[in-house]
Amino acid sequence: MTYIPSADDLEVITREVWTSFLDGDPSGLIAASGDMPDDKITGCVYLSGAYTGSIMLQCSPPAARDAAAALYSIAPASVTQTEVVDALGEIANMVGGNVKSMLPGPSTLSLPSVVQGQLSVPGTRMVREVQLSWRAQPLFVSLWQQAS
Amino acid sequence: MRILIVDDSKAMRMIVARTLRMAGYDEHELIEAVDGLHALEVVAQEPPDVVLCDWNMPQMSGLELLTALRSAGWRIPFGFVTSEASPQMRAAALEAGAMFLVAKPFTPEDFQDVLDPVLA
Repeated sequence: MTYIPSADDLEVITREVWTSFLDGDPSGLIAASGDMPDDKITGCVYLSGAYTGSIMLQCSPPAARDAAAALYSIAPASVTQTEVVDALGEIANMVGGNVKSMLPGPSTLSLPSVVQGQLSVPGTRMVREVQLSWRAQPLFVSLWQQAS
Repeated sequence: MRILIVDDSKAMRMIVARTLRMAGYDEHELIEAVDGLHALEVVAQEPPDVVLCDWNMPQMSGLELLTALRSAGWRIPFGFVTSEASPQMRAAALEAGAMFLVAKPFTPEDFQDVLDPVLA
């Protein structure tokens, strides 16, 4: 039986990335369901091999801007679109790499993709999702698997 | 001592540099490369004393860079800094000639553990 990381696993990994590099306050990231805006920012890494699917991180544009500002140690107002793409891609890569370590291998992790809006990978279905809130902005992390 | 940080993410290069300073390596010269190919150029021009390298990068991966360096005769201490830290990845890194693998996210202590023996 293949172990699929749980929603709690996704939260623990995301929390570790967040507290290490983005927000030293562990209480800053809380479990909270909410609505994700249509203009959300999506960061994604793909897995292929023993496990085929993807790990997606979605957040609102303000949360993406604040995340980039935290990673770059600059003021949110001075964050550029390039820095948002770099930051969300690296965060997706860190979360995805750690999730990959819990999945059956060997698998290959792709370079990250970052888009504004919904990213759909044909033939995959969401198997896990955790809904969080950071600075009153939604942050969703999900694990997808290729349908067998 | 010169420490070469190789990562395609500018944010991550900044975080590695910041963490190295927090770990007490602020007296060392920190230089950067954006991928494996760029790192090869930097090594040829200004050989570093240690390389800290991401695994997954465009153009040339960290593993390809390590293989290219060893094939060219460079014996520079080389370590991976990567989000993938499964036992299989660690084994592959060591087999290719890496001295260590630091998992992202990391702490200053993680770098001290692997760099103190190299830079002493």
